[in-house]
Amino acid sequence: MTARRRDPRAERATRVVPSDGPRLRLALTALDSAAPVSVRPRRDPRARRADATVQTAPRLRLDWTGKTLAAPVTVPLAASGRGVRAAVEPVLRVIDAPACLVFAVLDRADGALSALDRQVMAAARLLADALDGAVVALAPDGPEDWGALGADRVLPLPAAWSHEHAPESRTAAIHAAIARLSPVHALFPESQDGGDVARRVAAMAGERLFAGVESLSAQRVTRRAGGGARELSCAPPRLMSIAADAVAPLGPVRHEARLLDPVTAEVPTPTLGPTRRLAVDPDGVGLNEADFILSAGNGVTDWAAFAELGRALGATRAGSRVVCDAGHLPRDRQVGASGTVVSARGYLAFGIAGAPQHLQGIGGVGHVIAINTDLHAAMIKRADLAIIADAQAVMPALIRLMRERTHG
Amino acid sequence: MVAAALSTVTLTVLLVGLGLALVQARRWRAGRAAKVGVWAGLAALPGRYLVDVHDVVGRTPFNARFHALTAGGFLAALALSVALVVPSLRHPLLWGGLALALTVMLAGGLMVGYRRRVLRPAELSGGRFSRLPVALTGFSAAFLLVALDQSAGGILPVWFALGLVAVGGWGLAELVFGVWNGPLKHAVHGALHLAFHPRPDRFHDGAGRDTGLRPLDLAQADAPLGAGQAVDFAWNRLLGFDACVQCGRCESACPAYAAGLPLNPKKLVQDLVLSLDDGSDDRAYAGHGHPGRPIGAAVTGPTRPLVGADALIHPDTLWACTTCRACVQECPMMIEHVDAVVDLRRFQTLERGATPVKAAGVLEELRATDTPSGRALDRRLDWAVDLRLPVLAAGESCDTLLWLGDGAFDLRNQRSLRALVLLLRRAGVEFAVLGAAELDCGDVARRLGDEATFQDLARRNIQTLEARRFRRIVTADPHAFHCLRNEYPALGGRWTVQHHSAVLLDLLTSGALAVTRPLAGPVAYHDPCYLGRYNGEIDAPRAVLDAIGAQRREMERSGLRSRCCGGGGGAPLTDVVGERRIPDMRMDDARATGAPTLAVGCPTCTLMLEGVVEPRPQVAELAELVLTATEPTP
Amino acid sequence: MVDVAVLLSVGRHPVSGRARRAPTDARALELALSLPPGRRTALHAGSPDSPALRDYLGMGLAELTVLPMAEGRDPTDALVARLRAAAPAIVLTGNRAEGGEDSGTLPYSLAHALGWAIVPDVVALTLNEDGSAELVQALARGQRRALRVAVPFVATIHPAAPAPRPSAFGPARRGRITVEPVDAPVDTALAACAVRPWRDRPKRLTVGAPGGGSGGALDRLRAATEAKAGQGRLLVGPTPDEAARAIYDCLQEQGMLPR
Repeated sequence: MTARRRDPRAERATRVVPSDGPRLRLALTALDSAAPVSVRPRRDPRARRADATVQTAPRLRLDWTGKTLAAPVTVPLAASGRGVRAAVEPVLRVIDAPACLVFAVLDRADGALSALDRQVMAAARLLADALDGAVVALAPDGPEDWGALGADRVLPLPAAWSHEHAPESRTAAIHAAIARLSPVHALFPESQDGGDVARRVAAMAGERLFAGVESLSAQRVTRRAGGGARELSCAPPRLMSIAADAVAPLGPVRHEARLLDPVTAEVPTPTLGPTRRLAVDPDGVGLNEADFILSAGNGVTDWAAFAELGRALGATRAGSRVVCDAGHLPRDRQVGASGTVVSARGYLAFGIAGAPQHLQGIGGVGHVIAINTDLHAAMIKRADLAIIADAQAVMPALIRLMRERTHG
Repeated sequence: MVAAALSTVTLTVLLVGLGLALVQARRWRAGRAAKVGVWAGLAALPGRYLVDVHDVVGRTPFNARFHALTAGGFLAALALSVALVVPSLRHPLLWGGLALALTVMLAGGLMVGYRRRVLRPAELSGGRFSRLPVALTGFSAAFLLVALDQSAGGILPVWFALGLVAVGGWGLAELVFGVWNGPLKHAVHGALHLAFHPRPDRFHDGAGRDTGLRPLDLAQADAPLGAGQAVDFAWNRLLGFDACVQCGRCESACPAYAAGLPLNPKKLVQDLVLSLDDGSDDRAYAGHGHPGRPIGAAVTGPTRPLVGADALIHPDTLWACTTCRACVQECPMMIEHVDAVVDLRRFQTLERGATPVKAAGVLEELRATDTPSGRALDRRLDWAVDLRLPVLAAGESCDTLLWLGDGAFDLRNQRSLRALVLLLRRAGVEFAVLGAAELDCGDVARRLGDEATFQDLARRNIQTLEARRFRRIVTADPHAFHCLRNEYPALGGRWTVQHHSAVLLDLLTSGALAVTRPLAGPVAYHDPCYLGRYNGEIDAPRAVLDAIGAQRREMERSGLRSRCCGGGGGAPLTDVVGERRIPDMRMDDARATGAPTLAVGCPTCTLMLEGVVEPRPQVAELAELVLTATEPTP
Repeated sequence: MVDVAVLLSVGRHPVSGRARRAPTDARALELALSLPPGRRTALHAGSPDSPALRDYLGMGLAELTVLPMAEGRDPTDALVARLRAAAPAIVLTGNRAEGGEDSGTLPYSLAHALGWAIVPDVVALTLNEDGSAELVQALARGQRRALRVAVPFVATIHPAAPAPRPSAFGPARRGRITVEPVDAPVDTALAACAVRPWRDRPKRLTVGAPGGGSGGALDRLRAATEAKAGQGRLLVGPTPDEAARAIYDCLQEQGMLPR
């Protein structure tokens, strides 16, 4: 197998930005003539100043943090860049006689591949390419474009396993596939269910699982051990599970994705009963576990509306120290350095000024929305969406909107 | 005839009273053994009464007066009545003396009646106490008439005089039998408690102050770990509780009670007294209970668990205490409430593992990292990288060892520590710090009852300090100050320890620090409990403020009777909920002075008071104020 | 009444590195102590001298059995033999040890060798009359899943399970540590690994993850510089309805709203 030859001139030609200036301008990534011409935006100091103007009377107030007023600006670079890359169709690679096989056992939970699933594919690709081998994707059957995901072979598992918890059946099927195809490596995602199946397969095969790979090359894999203090490394063993964000996902590729015969395997003695999801009261979820937190600070006085908003949004309620001190919320609902350090994906904060201790408590939060009357509150600076308004006015409006949207 | 009747009645009542007192004594004698200097204690008794007790009682002059009149008159009247047994002594002069004593007592009794019936302070208990004025006045008035009549030669008909003797005898019986389980219990038990006090050093004939907790013997595997039941207390401690006269001074002083937390120190002591009765409950108690807690819900017993959700003392009551010693400071019976609280906590923590969740987490971090916040020791100096603090290694020596304390991990307190360091540099004091070798002093662990962790930390700190030479230890943290100065000696560590307020005062008076920009504005000063009540240091911080030109304003409750900020004894960790927060109440005291600045001298007070919602006076540490006032002028 | 075995390992404090209760193992013991009292077997494979063992005893455990072995030995066979002998209905342990290999695979090997069911990430356990148990598993984002399993089984405990009771000095001092010598072979797989201290490395940025592209240097720079600063927008004094709409749109974009 030979590597594709690159033609630097042709590549450069695709990046030339048409302009009437004297200087040749090149885009960072290849341009597609069909895509809108993306020219790096020129700076206009006046426009920037106008954008930064928060108010002009009684005195001029400027906000240079780059947050724009009212209308969000869509960032042209990121959007067009991605579109351009997708438009270049990579050349199909067919591996007819692989030297060996590398399994990528994917969760495809809730009917879609996760970011971690894609990273497992990339890890499998890396190992297979080093060994002139082929990647076999094992996943609950679905309409994915497996070729573009880097799979040379696809071994579909029952599509229902995307949605139901069937660790013993999955284990039996994967074990049977390993027995049939003898891969040199089988890679699992170190997700909750993926990690579970990986360990079951390892126990059944009587082999050791190298769990939670943190870095991976064809020569060496490492994982964290010793309570986080030690790094274990060795040559890649047969069974590995890949930790989240340890491997970069693949760039654009095109592989054959040849379908293999499904494996059939019976679970000799099923021991686990059927599972059912439990309804979870968002306020019963521990703050450190909560995914979406609705938080109140000293600026909230309408506690009935706050509670109702929590129900309407399905969010876990929490508060600042002052709010918990005042007894509006129980102490285990306090966010901050002296309360709970949270790591929710979403944090909706009403009337929180953002004391340093509170900001320490939300260091790991994904997306922060803050509503506060003070433009200069620390919370406003931290927020991804900041609204200068009174919590008492916004909460009922948001409740109304939620009702409209859920009933309409 | 009348004289014989009078003296016989008196003697009989006294003898029965003695019998009852002996029965009563069996209750507190059930406690554990205690080492007590019996004769020395008895010898010191009158002095302790006249000096130490009077010092407390004298804070409310009216009470001091009625107590002196009533008690003095009563004791004299009893002595003279008994003397009447001897026929040859039945002289009109003796009768006159008796009449005088009884007049004095009657005056006192009327004052007691005025206080109980007219003034009616809310903190007083009712029940048998309500009958006290009747008994006092009844006894003294009836016997007074008899004495006057007899000194005049006996004008009244004998049957009437005998009737009066009977009425007086009833009054006397009411009073004396009260030794068993009534108001006058405090007289006998209080006297014995003064003599056999568990902390004899607190009296004027000792050191005058004794506030360090006593170490538990952890080396012996069968030694008790605190008090889980009433009889786990030493007998003289039970005697002390039994001396309680339910005057309610502790109740009025307690910050937790004022904030509506479920703790009333008076009821706590009565819980311990009542628990000595088997199979009863606390319905006989006729004062204020623990706020929000029901009365009569639990069964008493000397070997029943004292603390529990359905025991006499609810865990919230126990963990609401800030160990501020305001109750001890006010108690005329010299009861040591904080010792009792810590002993109860020791059992909960060391035997039952029942420390409240967040406090238990802090103890676990302390055991694992030697800091309450679970931070790495070598990060204690992170805030001072630019200051290049000299670190004293083992074997080295310096003049002043600066004990940084846990405040060094806190953003706010790093500011005041920085000010202190700059001041020491400015004044040319040669100092060093321990750096990563400094462990937490163990204050919080000890107040939360974790004696094992405290002793472990203390022993290792002592070892570290013993390996270095220095003239004195200086700290800005009164809690560390108290531990190092008063509690480490029992474990073998003895040094000169100073709070930074005393050091700053020295530097200001000696001229090492020159005031260039006097403060000139009004400043209120909040006394930290562990500096004021625990160590008696209330003057130095005030003198510092005066020296830098502050117009000092005193808050309601200051000096030795200062009110806690709510931060002591691990209270912010146990976090018992009340109607108000203690720091909010304290900040109200500060607001009332109108001063825009509240000066503090304790990292915990700083955090607690600065946690109060604005608008409020700005909270400034003493060192910060001194730093601004002594800024060198170009 | 149920016979429970708890497998306890020695944890390591992340800051000081001192031995402590492993957080999920302590939760497993907490769960065991809260079950109706039956025979309780607590097992530790490792050094009998670790101070952390006293911390487990301090939770109110009367006795702890130690199968003594040096570090780097494989405890599987010894534990299987000991568990066969004790024949408990339920084996509880943490879902991840702290301080050893920390791979979370040992409970699976044990369950496989014993031929018992294994349920990971359990937060609650109730017993049924018929000898089965109702287990609740913790899932990501506070979600829960229930399932029924017949005894005997192995359950590993999730960090979201009820917090362990504090360890108390008195019971810790009184508790018994019984040492039962065993033979444990050298763990060859572990011995084949190179060990060195962990060094934090920057996580790989997954810019544009849903699209599949790895992103260019500019994308990575943007992600690195904007992650903390809040790349969103600012609305000053909107009407309540405008504000509500902006919040709604933002939440929907983030996928936070119930469907």
